[in-house]
Amino acid sequence: MTEVLAATENILNVTIIICFTGISVSLILLLYQIIKGPTQPDRAVALDTIGINLMGIAGILSIFLATTKLTDVVLLIGILGFLGTLAIAKYLEKGVIIDRDLD
Amino acid sequence: MAFQIVINLIIAFMWMFLNESYSAPGFIGGYLLGILLLFLLSKFIPGTFYLKKFFKIISLILLFIKELISSNIDIVKLVYTPNPEVEPGIFALPIEVKSNWEITLLANLISLTPGTLSIAVSNDNKQLFIHAMDIDDIEESISSIKNTFEKAIMEVTR
Amino acid sequence: MIETWIEIIINIIIILFLLVGTLFILSASIGIVRFPDVYTRLHAATKGSTLGIACILIGAFLYLYSAHSIVSGKLLLAIVFILLTAPVSAHMISRAAHNNGIKPFLKNRNDEYENAIKKQQSK
Repeated sequence: MTEVLAATENILNVTIIICFTGISVSLILLLYQIIKGPTQPDRAVALDTIGINLMGIAGILSIFLATTKLTDVVLLIGILGFLGTLAIAKYLEKGVIIDRDLD
Repeated sequence: MAFQIVINLIIAFMWMFLNESYSAPGFIGGYLLGILLLFLLSKFIPGTFYLKKFFKIISLILLFIKELISSNIDIVKLVYTPNPEVEPGIFALPIEVKSNWEITLLANLISLTPGTLSIAVSNDNKQLFIHAMDIDDIEESISSIKNTFEKAIMEVTR
Repeated sequence: MIETWIEIIINIIIILFLLVGTLFILSASIGIVRFPDVYTRLHAATKGSTLGIACILIGAFLYLYSAHSIVSGKLLLAIVFILLTAPVSAHMISRAAHNNGIKPFLKNRNDEYENAIKKQQSK
């Protein structure tokens, strides 16, 4: 019985490495999209997705290191990525981020 | 609804004091007992039983998770087909929900369901513009959105 | 005996969640690179990466619970947060793109939002 448990834990370790590889490949693809992207909103989409992928990397890292310290990091990256995307979208739409004349 | 929750809390505290066990399990036991009492006596208390609304919210969340998973399977299929034959377009969906946060909820639900993405709300809050990835019939997709999501949201909020 | 079996099953569930999440995130990125315009790219970005990150964070939550018996509510909060905010940012980006005058890639369909804006301006 313990051998099966040890085997699943080994498979889990290999899985973590596979997940790191997969998310790294997706980050490289997104970087290529940021450089290539014909228009500015394309780049904004890719940047938003990069934020989400960083959350995934932090989540897998918290399994790899077996720590709970990184859960704060996951939440914070999510919040900062959302605010950054909103700021970029508002800048693209109106040319300013904080509009002073509130209608 | 607020009246029923207050009654439920009072029953829970009374149960806790009568048992002389001032702990979280005692409170939870009292709350469950209060829910049972309210359910049995719901004919004599004004308003509908408040857990009914709770069950509707739960069913809305389950519907949402089901649609999210099916939309992901669609996207993965579309990504790995060579030369995808998509026919994207933007169509207008007339909406009946009025208040701001109902429209927000509807737009969020539409964005995460298969093949649709909400783009903008018209100025008079009566139309929602939706980008569709691959639709065969516009009328059919409009009626399916109206019958599933809008109905579920109206059941929760009204 | 039974506890060992439960631990094995939880490990298998964690492995499945992590692999499925990585598959969804990777296919979202491939979709972003392959699709023709901003709006179709947003389809891939919102749907794929939202479910992918939810799967990965559920896997991390289950692992922390089974291996160290820690219930980490922050991970669940992060899942709820991403489910709420991803459609909002997609809506903002697509509206900004449309107001910037980026034409959607059309085939056999038309752009009713453009028509509505034109009708309003001509009034």
